[in-house]
Amino acid sequence: MRLVGKNAFVTGGRQGIGRGIVDAFVSEGAAVTTCGRGPRPEGLSSNIVWHSLDVTDAVAVQKLASNMKTTDILVNNAGVQVEKTVTDSSDADWDAVIGVNCRGVFNVCRAFIPRMLSGGSIVNIGSISGNVADPSMALYNASKAFVHGLTRSIAVDHGPDIRCNAICPGWIETGMLDAGFDLATDPAVARSDALARHPSRRFGTPEDIANMSVWLASDEAGFATGQLFTIDGGMTAASPLNPGLF
Amino acid sequence: MMLKGKTALVTGGRGGIGRAIVSRFLREGARVYAADLTPEGSLASHDEDGSVFVKLDVTKEDDAIAAMDEVSNASGKLDILVNAAGIEIEKTIEQTTLEEWNRSFAVNVTGTFLTSKHALPLMRIASSSGTSASIINFGSYDGFIADPGLAAYCATKGAVHALTRAMACDHGPEGIRVNAICPGYVDTPMLQSFFTGDGSGGDGKTIDQLQKAVRDVHPMRTYGTPEDIANLVNWLASDEARYASGQLWVLDGGLSAQVQQMKL
Repeated sequence: MRLVGKNAFVTGGRQGIGRGIVDAFVSEGAAVTTCGRGPRPEGLSSNIVWHSLDVTDAVAVQKLASNMKTTDILVNNAGVQVEKTVTDSSDADWDAVIGVNCRGVFNVCRAFIPRMLSGGSIVNIGSISGNVADPSMALYNASKAFVHGLTRSIAVDHGPDIRCNAICPGWIETGMLDAGFDLATDPAVARSDALARHPSRRFGTPEDIANMSVWLASDEAGFATGQLFTIDGGMTAASPLNPGLF
Repeated sequence: MMLKGKTALVTGGRGGIGRAIVSRFLREGARVYAADLTPEGSLASHDEDGSVFVKLDVTKEDDAIAAMDEVSNASGKLDILVNAAGIEIEKTIEQTTLEEWNRSFAVNVTGTFLTSKHALPLMRIASSSGTSASIINFGSYDGFIADPGLAAYCATKGAVHALTRAMACDHGPEGIRVNAICPGYVDTPMLQSFFTGDGSGGDGKTIDQLQKAVRDVHPMRTYGTPEDIANLVNWLASDEARYASGQLWVLDGGLSAQVQQMKL
């Protein structure tokens, strides 16, 4: 139990990676508050506090923060994805992606940092896509690079009281991944091809990301700040060119 | 003529990329020493190109000393050193013998060390005239991300990257700039050997099919030519790059800017 006595706030805890982090924090003894757009999800443990919150709404974020107890751990996980190139992207796409992934992270950090205790830890969910580009994901890729830059800035500006790191997940088994494969000409071939590009020969799970989140949130990570931690089964350690797969 | 009045030595100067660098340097007005194991190097045909051949096994310190003596006697200084000599072994670490491992490091890392070490006195003479001298090492994009079955090569290139930064720190105050070029896939005898060798994982494909597939993975839809690499080497060698030092310059047609290209 590495997070006993700590109060954690996790954005985007309804499903996927966020839900995995929420569950892991609870099992490590933290008191967890999470949020998402819409009502409390079914199956969420009764000891977890849920708030319906749109992180793009700065006023609502400030209001929630001022009503909460002090926070030890903040996880900015809420994010959206639009699969388009720059020229295909509309103003609405910009507002959606930049609104949640950039403005949302900014809103939450600005509201919560003043209420965080010394020794606090912020974990932002960046992406491998903020380091190397996924095709047709222009705004998403750029938004995650923003998260990486903001992570370093917060670490520099708000240390030594607060540590701030980002996790860069690769391909994680979520509904979003399955939906992607379903769009392929041959979903089975697409899945096996993608697996072959992972030295781990498997995709990640929300638990894989939650494991690193727990460590970064815990006092064991007391010297870790301002860094990007890639958890991708080794995918981006390998060249995108793998002649064995042609 | 960006290199008029400059003296340059290129190791592996009769090989795939080295020969293109020598050729470019000559066109830019430099006096060029092409150092290699043999006058022919790794290419079968050899046209006289106007460079001065210097016999150099980069793994041998006596060879490095003798080569620099030759440059010293004939030119009295060295403005530009390009450490382009390199080998690759297409194996995992389990398949790699200790001898092969040592050979990889001897050529790619120790060779860069020895040649640079014995070039430095001549390079100080060049930089004392007021313009900076320039060492250009050969790293690789494989020093950042791995190609499968190329373990020792990847490790040597990572070592060259670190050595580049260290040399830049140590010798910058003496007016000697040190950078590394990190090529991706470049059309050389080494690449063609990779296509036909165990590293290709050919899967029944012809070399032409394999080459097309490799090209198509690049955002630029092609792999590089030795001339593409020589273009950047030339710039780094020139006085235009006088503020560039300690950096790793990736030149790979965008290959490593992207994630794995899934078949979706």
